[in-house]
Amino acid sequence: MANQSKACARLVIVGGGMAGSKLAQDAMASELNYHITLISEESQVGYNRIMLSALLAKDITENDMLLVDILKMSQSGMHIIAGDPAEAVDISNKQVLLKSGRQIAYDKLVFATGSRASQLTIEGSLAPNVMGFRNWRDTEILSNLDNKDHVSVIGGGLLGLEAAVGLAKKGHPVSVYHRSKWLLNRQLDNNAAKLLQSTLEQYGIVFHLGQTPERLQQETAGHVVAVECNGHTQPTQLVVMATGITPEVALAERSGINVNRAIVVDAQMRTSHPDIFALGECCEFDSHTFGLVAPIWNQIKVLLQTLNEQPSVFEIEAVPTKLKVSGINLFSVGKIEPDEDDVCLCYTDIATHHYRKLLVNGDQLVGAILYGNVADGSWYFQLMQNKTNVSDILDTLIFGEAYCCQNVA
Amino acid sequence: MTVSSVKTTCPYCGVGCGVNLSYSKEPSDTVLPVSGDDQHPANFGRLCVKGSSLAQTITLDDRMLTPQVNGKPSSWEHATDVISHKIRDVIAKHGPNAFAFYLSGQILTEDYYVANKLAKGFIGTANVDTNSRLCMASAVVGYKRAFGSDTVPCNYEDLERCDLLIMVGSNAAWTHPVLFQRIVAAKAKRPEMRVVVIDPRRTATCDVADLHLAITPGSDAAIFSYLLNDTAQHESLDHGFIDSHTDNFDLALNQAQASTPDLETTAEFCNIAPHELNLLCELWRKTDKTVTFYSQGVNQSSSGVDKCNAIINCHLATGRIGKEGAGPFSITGQPNAMGGREVGGLANQLAAHMDFATPGAQDLVKRFWNAPNMATENGLKAVDLFQAMEQGDVKIVWIMSTNPMVSIPDTAQVQRALEKCDLVIVSDVKAHTDTTAYADVLLPATGWSEKDGTVTNSERRISRQRGLLPAPEQAMHDWQSICDVAKKLGYQSAFSYSSPHEIFAEHAALSTFENNGKRDFDIGVFKNISREQYDQFTPIQWPVTQQAPYGTARMFEDKHFYTPNGRAQFFPITPRLPQAHPSKQYPLTLNTGRIRDQWHTMTRTGDAAVLARHISQPFVEIHPQDALQYDIQDKALVTLTSPHGRVIVKAKISDETAQGSVFVPIHWTKQFASKSVISALVPPVVDPLSGQPESKHAQAAVSPIKNATYGSLISETELNLSDCLYWCKVPSEFGHRYEVAWPEKIPLSDLKSRFDSHSILDLQWLEYSNPINHQTRLAGVQNDHLKIVIYLSDSPTVSTTDWLISRLSLQQSLSDSERMALLVGKPVDMEDKGEIVCACFQVGTTQIEKSVKQGACSIESLGIELKCGTNCGSCIPELKALITSNVETES
Repeated sequence: MANQSKACARLVIVGGGMAGSKLAQDAMASELNYHITLISEESQVGYNRIMLSALLAKDITENDMLLVDILKMSQSGMHIIAGDPAEAVDISNKQVLLKSGRQIAYDKLVFATGSRASQLTIEGSLAPNVMGFRNWRDTEILSNLDNKDHVSVIGGGLLGLEAAVGLAKKGHPVSVYHRSKWLLNRQLDNNAAKLLQSTLEQYGIVFHLGQTPERLQQETAGHVVAVECNGHTQPTQLVVMATGITPEVALAERSGINVNRAIVVDAQMRTSHPDIFALGECCEFDSHTFGLVAPIWNQIKVLLQTLNEQPSVFEIEAVPTKLKVSGINLFSVGKIEPDEDDVCLCYTDIATHHYRKLLVNGDQLVGAILYGNVADGSWYFQLMQNKTNVSDILDTLIFGEAYCCQNVA
Repeated sequence: MTVSSVKTTCPYCGVGCGVNLSYSKEPSDTVLPVSGDDQHPANFGRLCVKGSSLAQTITLDDRMLTPQVNGKPSSWEHATDVISHKIRDVIAKHGPNAFAFYLSGQILTEDYYVANKLAKGFIGTANVDTNSRLCMASAVVGYKRAFGSDTVPCNYEDLERCDLLIMVGSNAAWTHPVLFQRIVAAKAKRPEMRVVVIDPRRTATCDVADLHLAITPGSDAAIFSYLLNDTAQHESLDHGFIDSHTDNFDLALNQAQASTPDLETTAEFCNIAPHELNLLCELWRKTDKTVTFYSQGVNQSSSGVDKCNAIINCHLATGRIGKEGAGPFSITGQPNAMGGREVGGLANQLAAHMDFATPGAQDLVKRFWNAPNMATENGLKAVDLFQAMEQGDVKIVWIMSTNPMVSIPDTAQVQRALEKCDLVIVSDVKAHTDTTAYADVLLPATGWSEKDGTVTNSERRISRQRGLLPAPEQAMHDWQSICDVAKKLGYQSAFSYSSPHEIFAEHAALSTFENNGKRDFDIGVFKNISREQYDQFTPIQWPVTQQAPYGTARMFEDKHFYTPNGRAQFFPITPRLPQAHPSKQYPLTLNTGRIRDQWHTMTRTGDAAVLARHISQPFVEIHPQDALQYDIQDKALVTLTSPHGRVIVKAKISDETAQGSVFVPIHWTKQFASKSVISALVPPVVDPLSGQPESKHAQAAVSPIKNATYGSLISETELNLSDCLYWCKVPSEFGHRYEVAWPEKIPLSDLKSRFDSHSILDLQWLEYSNPINHQTRLAGVQNDHLKIVIYLSDSPTVSTTDWLISRLSLQQSLSDSERMALLVGKPVDMEDKGEIVCACFQVGTTQIEKSVKQGACSIESLGIELKCGTNCGSCIPELKALITSNVETES
């Protein structure tokens, strides 16, 4: 029975973002014999969301945005539905209902619904000129702004900074409000963040750290005209909310699938329902959610194996972070701040904005922050992944692979 | 390229090697690297690493360039006025013995001659002593007692031609490297030649030894006392020689039999195995071609003279003197200790190998000099002289070319003595020495490469030191400054020399004046030497007379001695151990000596960065068991205390020093290290006959310095490190390098602000911290140029700093990768040499170990691969040790 259904099985992927479209492409390229349907809410399918800030900054063109080859995929018989979001899933009948009213039958269903920008719930946050920075459309809006307009970015994480830099490079005056005491507080320590901040300030970005706006002042028509924060009022024409992402789980919840912070999956990416899977930013595994591509690419591999009835297990691994801003080199992987039994190695050359911090636990590297010169980042990442014993190279570890390779060999 | 060259003589040890010194006027004024003079009979072209580095010591850094009176620059006119007025004044009030010269075995014979003449014939005092007192005074008295004259019987060829060479109290491998290399080469040529080393330490010299007797410190005399006894027992005496040419043999033998009755007792006294002592006796009996080669280990002793005579007794008893390859051979430590002895430049000599007690000598010299105020009795020997200063008896001292604040025992006493004097005059080339600090009048002297005159080496060979460079600014030859003062004292005619050759001619004339073969020292053929002849002078061994116009290679070949009856004298010797004894408070016996690449108080070798590579910091060598007992870690700082003082040095754990003994080198002064002047520990104990201090023996206690933070500092500018627990300035090619220690941890911010204040502009700081290895490193950069590097660690590991130092001189801006490398200590692609072993070619332990592990297991193959050991050869013992230890590790 299983084999029979597999022969003509229908794989439906809800979500045409990076996870969904990459899964679709890889599934087609694999030996899986499924008929694949890819359902996308956005009209652009399969673009590289990571590159939106570069597109905004005009560092690249739209042609550079493709993640997968949609044309080739559809020519090969994949059913691609764009601009028509899924509204409901009928689990008992194995059907997906789209906004347009179409119904798509599936044998195996994958949620790749991604996430949305979190909304700060303060006065004015629902105004029409308050937006996220998540998708192509957001980027188009920002790209078309008059570059004299002042933009306030709320959130100094990766996304907020990428938006801020993209806007600043376009010529906008930009203010960034960040709740923590330093930028990228989930990726960097205070020292590296200070270096980053001073570089970004050279682009003209004004930072308000340790501060969250209390209110977005609106004019009578409802548009935000100023940000009120800590007794200071900053006139602004647009507010970008980049205060984090919220997994998009509404559809799954409505369908009766087990959802915690996100859609709960096991190590095979299976949800509470045996024929339904989830991956990417919308899934939750072992209490972790995911915002970076590296683990998601792993999830795709695991899911493809699972669909092919091969044993495969998804594991949480440290993932390096890089800020996708040209001219800024930062790298962060693993722990940021030392626990009691960790030791911190540090190199600082403030004048040239070169900073390195390594966290060592026993004979293992457990964290690395690099700023300025990140060439050794992948080597440190490798040492962490391979759990290399670094006790013999502690003298030169922080100076990078070149100084250590003689010793290691 | 205009190059001018001279053949001159090395200014370091008593070997007296010939050196070619060249100077290029174009493209820029440069002293070219020196080379050995292959014509010179002392070295035939060889040079040791110190000699090879001479060009690097020719520098105006810290050079004294103008006279100073009471800390203010002055003219020669004024300075010599001050000196001469004070001398007149003090003599008038307190008599001539209130004046003293304290000279040096490093000034030239001509300088020595005029100083001796002025004091003993014109001022009227025999207070003319010299640092030679510290080095070979016992050997002088030993020779004089036995031969009636201060005559070194042997020459260097005897070292090569003997069948048995006994080296006593000499680490010639490090202190007289060229002679040592000649011995090594001779032994390689004639493997049947035997070498015995008698030394409490297993030194580099033991590398050539067939037998090493590691005796109890100071027990040398017992060895030779027993040797005499054993020789008599085995009927190996030369009765013909004893009967015809000596006196008092029976007295000496009886005493030897009483003092060292048998092998076991003697071996026990010396703490060696009886069979080892027996082996020496057997070797001694087998051949009469025996040279006993001795140096400071014998001389620097409260019984130094007796030790010398114990040695000479054995040679006289077997007729081993005045023959090729035989004789008791005292080797001097300084380039012109011998020249000083020849002019009489010691307080217990008069002039030209005549003593005050020599019948008729005072009158002879008085007539020759036409001297108005002849001294009539011995003056004060070095240690007594400084005690007389402290007591106020000597009120003026003129110190020339020496550093008593570092070299005379009980430094605290020397300081009190200098402070007490009315007038301290110091003639030197360096502006800042431990001694110039106490001077009222400073006189800028000429240095090697400028000086013009003669020196005599350990085999009685007179050679020229020739000046090539002009005296800088107001620097003046020592003989000139002495003559200027003499003239101002009213002795114009006796001191109006226009050139050193005139002084040498007078010295030669005095040596032959009414001599007629009565005195060994006679160079009468030179009494009319012209300037041209003086300039053409080639090395020659005195005596040089009408009968021996080409000099005298060996003395006493005619078995005639300079005693009144012409017979050599035996002396009965009772071996005595050093005066300081181990106590509960000071349990360790402290031995002192030189290291391979430094000379005396580093006033010259301290200018050559290359010479600081082998050993860069003061240390105490301590046996592993003692280190364990006193909780001492290798390379860590320790405090050494004696009843006389306290020093801080680094520990070097080694079984080359016996358990219960420690060894410290003598070189570091307050100019180079904060608290490492070793004479501060040494008791002012002297030999009663020679007055030579027992500088090789003190009792000391050692204690660890815990929890120190160690630092290596490299700075463009000089740093004030007075708040350090310890600092040591390590000579470097560029900038200033220091090894330091603070008593506790220093926060980074403290350190930065401390050194920020040293610079006018704000420094950009690069920082590195590694709490696992307890490393903290800082580099201060200004306008992309390195200004300062600070490496801290809680362990005393010293990193190689050559590359960092080279960054100080970099013209172009530092690159990004170089910036980070500042805190690593080297660029990525640079090989780490390890500690430098071969100073000539700058080859280090890491390179050598690597080559040995790759199969280069002999000195020859290492030489081919790395060049190490192929120039001066003084690192060969260390290379051998590295080969052995690394081959052992492998197997």
